[in-house]
Amino acid sequence: MPDSGFPWPIETTRLDNGLRVVVSEDRTAPAVAVNLWYDVGSRHEPAGQTGFAHLFEHLMFEGSVNVAKTEHMKLIQGAGGSLNATTNPDRTNYFETVPAEHLELALWLEADRMGGLVPALTQETLDNQRDVVKNERRQRYENVPYGDAWLRLLPLLYPPGHPYHHATIGSMADLNAADLATFQEFHSTYYAPNNAVLTVVGDTTAAEVFALADKYFGGLAARADIPAAPDGRTVPAAGSPAVETVTADVPAPRVYVAHRTHPFGTPGYDVTTVLATVLGSGRGSRLYQRLADGERIAQPDLVGAYGVDLAHAPAPLIATATARPGVSAERLRDGLADVVDELATVSVTAAELDRAKALLSTMWWRQMSTVDGRADTLGRYATQFGDPARAADRLPAWLAVTAEQIAEQAAELLGAADRVILTYLPEEK
Amino acid sequence: MSLIATRPGPGAARAYRFPQVVRRTVAGGQVVAAHLPGQNLAVALLLLDGGAGREPVGKEGLGAVLAKALEEGTAQRDATAYALAIEALGTELSTGLDWDSFQVSVQVPVDRLTAAVELLAEAVRTPRLDPADVRRVRDDEATALRMDWANPGPRADAVLRAELFGAQHRWGRPLYGDPDSVAALEVDDVTVFHSEWFIRPGTLVVAGDLERIDLDALAATAFAGSGGGPVERGGPIDVPLAGQRRIILVDRPGSVQSTLRLGHPSPHRAHPDHVPMTLAGTVLGGAFTSRLNHLIREVRGYTYGIRGDFASSRRFGRFAVSSGVQTAVTAPALVESVGEISRTRLTGVTEDELEVARSWRAGQLSVELQSPRAIAAALTTLVVHDLPDDYHARLREQLLAATVEDVSAAAAAYLHPGSLTMVIEGDAAVIRDELVASGLGEVVDHT
Repeated sequence: MPDSGFPWPIETTRLDNGLRVVVSEDRTAPAVAVNLWYDVGSRHEPAGQTGFAHLFEHLMFEGSVNVAKTEHMKLIQGAGGSLNATTNPDRTNYFETVPAEHLELALWLEADRMGGLVPALTQETLDNQRDVVKNERRQRYENVPYGDAWLRLLPLLYPPGHPYHHATIGSMADLNAADLATFQEFHSTYYAPNNAVLTVVGDTTAAEVFALADKYFGGLAARADIPAAPDGRTVPAAGSPAVETVTADVPAPRVYVAHRTHPFGTPGYDVTTVLATVLGSGRGSRLYQRLADGERIAQPDLVGAYGVDLAHAPAPLIATATARPGVSAERLRDGLADVVDELATVSVTAAELDRAKALLSTMWWRQMSTVDGRADTLGRYATQFGDPARAADRLPAWLAVTAEQIAEQAAELLGAADRVILTYLPEEK
Repeated sequence: MSLIATRPGPGAARAYRFPQVVRRTVAGGQVVAAHLPGQNLAVALLLLDGGAGREPVGKEGLGAVLAKALEEGTAQRDATAYALAIEALGTELSTGLDWDSFQVSVQVPVDRLTAAVELLAEAVRTPRLDPADVRRVRDDEATALRMDWANPGPRADAVLRAELFGAQHRWGRPLYGDPDSVAALEVDDVTVFHSEWFIRPGTLVVAGDLERIDLDALAATAFAGSGGGPVERGGPIDVPLAGQRRIILVDRPGSVQSTLRLGHPSPHRAHPDHVPMTLAGTVLGGAFTSRLNHLIREVRGYTYGIRGDFASSRRFGRFAVSSGVQTAVTAPALVESVGEISRTRLTGVTEDELEVARSWRAGQLSVELQSPRAIAAALTTLVVHDLPDDYHARLREQLLAATVEDVSAAAAAYLHPGSLTMVIEGDAAVIRDELVASGLGEVVDHT
């Protein structure tokens, strides 16, 4: 068993304005990954403003005081780099990987949009990116079979008012209502240096990065009163299953079974991670063996289980299966529920546990095999747990999970009374 | 607030060094490996001349069904035991298929590589292929394709491909087949395809810390029990351009977006103009800052994204543009896309645009020099296209040296807006009239 999941150097500093800077030097490839985690996500959105954190992420590519509209993309790609950004309920991250000689350019661009977005933000830009995001919603959620499953699961898992109740993409009505002043305020409130972590991994030194960070970010002002998101750590047990059945233009019945577990980063969620792998990852998993291979009621490519790694409330565990031709939704639902139920009653064997841990080990090292994977991981641990070095603990923690812990968690949290069941039925034609 | 207004220039350029490549012949097969010192993960990939181009016409999807059937038990163990054995090493058997090759690979911590390659070889060389299992896998694959074809895209792709290349040819039909072609496959089709193409040794590609890997032993395992030599792969195919532009309408009632697939044939992979041609494609539709994405997404807001590129295999190629646009703006999005293709053909590219395109693509070669998976993919390119060890370094130089004249000439020579086939998958009742009114070309309903 490895002692550490992160056998590379980590150096950190904090600028006077509160910006945390994390550096991990690795000279293997002539590239650097630059990654910023802002501690703001859709969990911070009040009612009537769903989708704003994500729409804001789009606006961050549309120019700032010293960077013209769309120039950000052009400069990074023109430097040979890759870039993107993502928003989820917890946080928003921005990242680029560039040939190492362009590190300073990347830091200049990130500083300019951290400190100088508001003056450059125009109604025209907002209107354009609102249209782009509405098209993203159509493409990802509305125009594909089962595309809205996540939008339906969240309100079943989390009650109204809970920070995870609504999906990050937001509602069309709220997106339509978005006004410029709200976005200017959003940036001033959350895009402050003391609400962010800057991570750089790759072909550079900590001294170089610290100096450049001070040069470009050091003049930005901290914000004293960043409002916290609503506390979602306690979710009352439902006491009865939340069941939703949707008839839609889908090619086969599909069932999702979901439960609230523990927040990502806790020992309880480490158990969830291993449990999900035993349950639904790979051909050797229980779901595949029982439903795709054994009873042959589920399509083999579409059966699985996974945890959603959210850190600010009990995170979801989701198991799903899609019916083979001729198999009813009821039979599939019963079969899926049986396999989940058995986690509490049929002990996980040593072979099942070893298989899950081996798959998780490879998954971990695959994430660590690139500078961008490492940078995002360090940014996460610095943002969510206050210390990037805690990244090293995750893999050993997974490898220490026992069969008893899995059975205990299944008995405690995965019971039928606290279950969410979402079923899709094909329209009759 | 205090921001630094001056954009910094680049620091000292780092040298581009592709990892050291090792080539060997072992036990009748070829080994191509890259040394990644200190890397904890390793990838081994067996490359076989069993791509979709080897499937007989009417048997589309054979390779995809065989790929799944490999894991349904071997001469030594049943499917469950096989799954548990390979997943206990921390890997799944990963298979891939393109027009030129069939690939099967494992990715594991380096100390488990030998054991993983043993299991890989066991599945590839000695699969059980029990008739009942093969039929079930075939039926599952047909169902999986039916599921996939319920999404927007696959039907439009298939229609475009058939129009460009002719459905009488294998390369005019979908890479993975369609639900009907897969459902019609027989057990014998699968076993014959296996014996024809999966027993030949092929090439073992390895990316990892070679000081901790015994390449000869690994290769001996991968090639054990193999036999037969290489088979002539055929030369480039001459695909004619269409005489006029046409719109083919694929109905998807109720669709909130229209799926656009525009294309025409283009040169094969080894064509001498490959670099300037693909750079023209990058300027037009390859990068986020491309002409198409800038206009259709960033200026108009019609889409979440649009891209266009030249793609090529050993024997043929195609230029294509793809996007999903809001239903109400289908016709204007199409008109403006064709306009950008025409403008690029007529007036070429600017130095400013080309500077972004060439440094982006050259820089990506450095950025991609990281994971064993990416290095293995780069080695695979060398093998499939018979390229030398220094290919990536030379490609980088060619990209950086390409001039506005070269790339503009390639745009003029290889973009053919007058020969575009434009497949639109969307709500036909809503969009037909305005597509007709667009005057872009005859509108035909796909049946």
